[in-house]
Amino acid sequence: MTTVCAACGAAAAGTARFCEGCGAPLAGAPAAPAVPPTRPGSDDPLSDAPISAPTRRPSAALPDPLPAMTRRPCAECGGEVGPDLYCLECGTKAPSERDHFRESPAPWVAGVCDRGITHARNEDAMALLAGARPGSRAVLVVLDGVSNSIDSDVASLAGAHAAREVLRMPLPAGLGTEESRAAAAARVFDTTVQAANTAIVATTDPDSPNPASATFAVAVVEGDRVHVANIGDSRAYWLPDDGQGVQLSTDDSMAQAQIAAGVPREIAETSPQAHAITKWLGRDSPDLSPHLVTRELSVAGWVLVCSDGLWNYASEPADLTAQIAAAGTTDPAELALALVGFANDCGGQDNITVALARVDPTGSAATTPGAPAASGLGTVGQNADQTEQSGGGPTDPEIDVPDRSDVHELSDLPDHAQEGPSDG
Amino acid sequence: MAEFTAAVYQNEFLPDGGTDVNAIVTVTCTGAGTAGQAGSGDAGEIIIVDTSGSMGPATMEAAKDAAKAALAEIVDGTWFAVIAGADRAMLAYPPVTSGPGMVQMDARVRTQAMAAIDRFVGSGGTAISTWLDLAGQLFSSVPSISQRHVLLLTDGENRERPGRLDEAINRATGYFQADCRGAGTDWQVAEIRRIAQALLGSVDIIPRPDQMRAEFQAIMRKSMSRGVADAHLRVWTPQGAQILFVRQVSPTVEDLTARRTPVNPLTGDYPTGAWSDESRDYHVAVRVAAKAVGQEQLAARIQLTLGDDIVTQGLVKATWSSNSELTTRIDQQVAHYTGQTELAAAIQEGLAAKAAGDEATATTKLGRAVALAAATGNAEATTKLRKVVDVENEVEGTVRLKRAVDKADEMALDTASTKTTRIRKDTA
Repeated sequence: MTTVCAACGAAAAGTARFCEGCGAPLAGAPAAPAVPPTRPGSDDPLSDAPISAPTRRPSAALPDPLPAMTRRPCAECGGEVGPDLYCLECGTKAPSERDHFRESPAPWVAGVCDRGITHARNEDAMALLAGARPGSRAVLVVLDGVSNSIDSDVASLAGAHAAREVLRMPLPAGLGTEESRAAAAARVFDTTVQAANTAIVATTDPDSPNPASATFAVAVVEGDRVHVANIGDSRAYWLPDDGQGVQLSTDDSMAQAQIAAGVPREIAETSPQAHAITKWLGRDSPDLSPHLVTRELSVAGWVLVCSDGLWNYASEPADLTAQIAAAGTTDPAELALALVGFANDCGGQDNITVALARVDPTGSAATTPGAPAASGLGTVGQNADQTEQSGGGPTDPEIDVPDRSDVHELSDLPDHAQEGPSDG
Repeated sequence: MAEFTAAVYQNEFLPDGGTDVNAIVTVTCTGAGTAGQAGSGDAGEIIIVDTSGSMGPATMEAAKDAAKAALAEIVDGTWFAVIAGADRAMLAYPPVTSGPGMVQMDARVRTQAMAAIDRFVGSGGTAISTWLDLAGQLFSSVPSISQRHVLLLTDGENRERPGRLDEAINRATGYFQADCRGAGTDWQVAEIRRIAQALLGSVDIIPRPDQMRAEFQAIMRKSMSRGVADAHLRVWTPQGAQILFVRQVSPTVEDLTARRTPVNPLTGDYPTGAWSDESRDYHVAVRVAAKAVGQEQLAARIQLTLGDDIVTQGLVKATWSSNSELTTRIDQQVAHYTGQTELAAAIQEGLAAKAAGDEATATTKLGRAVALAAATGNAEATTKLRKVVDVENEVEGTVRLKRAVDKADEMALDTASTKTTRIRKDTA
């Protein structure tokens, strides 16, 4: 028996666990579990529940992004990075995977999580999922570990992975009415927050005087809608190509409290206490109820979820739109790098996370109402073989995502004026 | 199979704007085995004995005895030859006029070679270039030899037109190694040191004939224990960096900077010769472009290579920091060997000044040497210095030149000047 490497296409012996050609794990190996490789149990809230553990992943579940196959080229000079993790040309130390990582689960969804310049470690975390078909379904999770608490880099990543697990399946449709649908989605986001919080608390030393804590911001794109949930001051924005962008999330911060009380945004966000957050995840969390918002996406644009490492330098949606225009790309991976580069060029005073989904309902990839929803959700490009062999066929219609033909306009905010591209 | 390890000692922290990175890399070889037995080629040994007319009867008898003792140390199967050196070099053993000029050692040829040595008679002058050239020709007559070592004994100054010896040294460099010994006090330390340094060997004085046998035995035993034929120190530095110097600093100081063979634009090889079970320390100094505070980068990869195989690697790093507690610290190893290198230079320059009659410079330099030897704990240098100068204040290095100095003591100080001492590593 032979199998074919999903990553590079090379043939491999049936018993091989890794590709001879590129070193990628082979899904077809007999010893491999039926589900794609998963992380250790602490990331998975169901890991210690053997009775109900699925033996194969439902087709509607989004697959994990593929791990990077090779070391990225040197960020400084583009040279090859050696096995000792220093550039073979200029000697620059390659950042550790925790200090700088990228995810790109589908060509239309990508993110970069970067240490920035002045912080000693990266306490931001990011976890992404996406269906292969552009605009089908994407999950963007960003957590910002609070830097004066202990081990928040470990905690934030654990929290992000736990949140991603919960959101792997499509949001429920409820009983069909809008109220019911909203309530069902809200329950899922509550579960997501709880799972993230549980994971964070689980990584915290019970005796820690300064328990790990983190913000939480999630955007779930499903067809022509985006659902956002947040706690703390990590943000989600909707930034259409033409027209005014909008911040979807609501900060739980002193600055936001001041803005609510009438202080102008520029003054509030630059005041000494601006970054003090009023809600967070962690053992000493005061309140675990997220802000929720849903928005219809009818034009082409970007869903952006980011930590304050980015929006410190471009808080207003128009400023972000200007930076996106300056980058001049519709590739989310390129844009995420460009925005992280922008924040680092501005000083990189904090960890920077940028997660993006490219939404283009007018393009060829627009959602067709009533189409078999699962068809676009099974696999990610080069991952196709792997999923096939692990049991969950891409067209296996086990679970339907909500039928989008009956979506009503829920949140068409009044500021959604069509004013043409903003200059920047 | 020989195993190599590398350890790096450095203070990687540079202040804002700092560019110069210094590191001591200790390379250790274990399991070297025996010369010529590793399967990578045969070993070849050539013993060159000065048979010029200046060799007095006692010295000549001692040299014969010592050469025979050295023959006894050569492991069976090793290719060898014996050269009698005078105005020209004569192949004393094996007695051939064509074909391979060396034979493989066994009990029978060992006896024959000893008999050949017994027939040595001193006559004629000293033309060392011809000795080296003949050794090179003999080695090249046996293609299977990959590890080539010469033991050279002379008692007098080279009598050739200037330049001839240097040309012969250049021809031999990189082809064979040579440990050189001078008998008595009529030879030139600087001249013989030039040979030994180029040919990756040691130089020393054998003041009295009765010390010769033990010295030859030790040299040959050491050579036979070098089971790793030919290793190179490979140094990679980043684009735009500059290598300030590459020095072996232990067991002796040898500047290798000029002996770089480029591998690619960022990488160069420096010769280290054959290895036994031993540790050698290298001092590498690299100048890199300063980066922002908080940045870290690799300043050098230091590797030991056998042919194309990299057998061990050490990383020299640079991290820019604004913490002056970190950046002002000088690594103990770097400081120690910087002092030892200066000690070697001070001794050689002081003795050269003394020989030239410049007593003021000699007093200053040798005084500095006394202070450095004391500060770096080099007891051997201290002992040898005290035979040449009267020390008034060891710490400050105030000395007076001794009026009557044994020439042998002065030469012993000169030959030993490059020998260094180690310090404990665990405190570094």
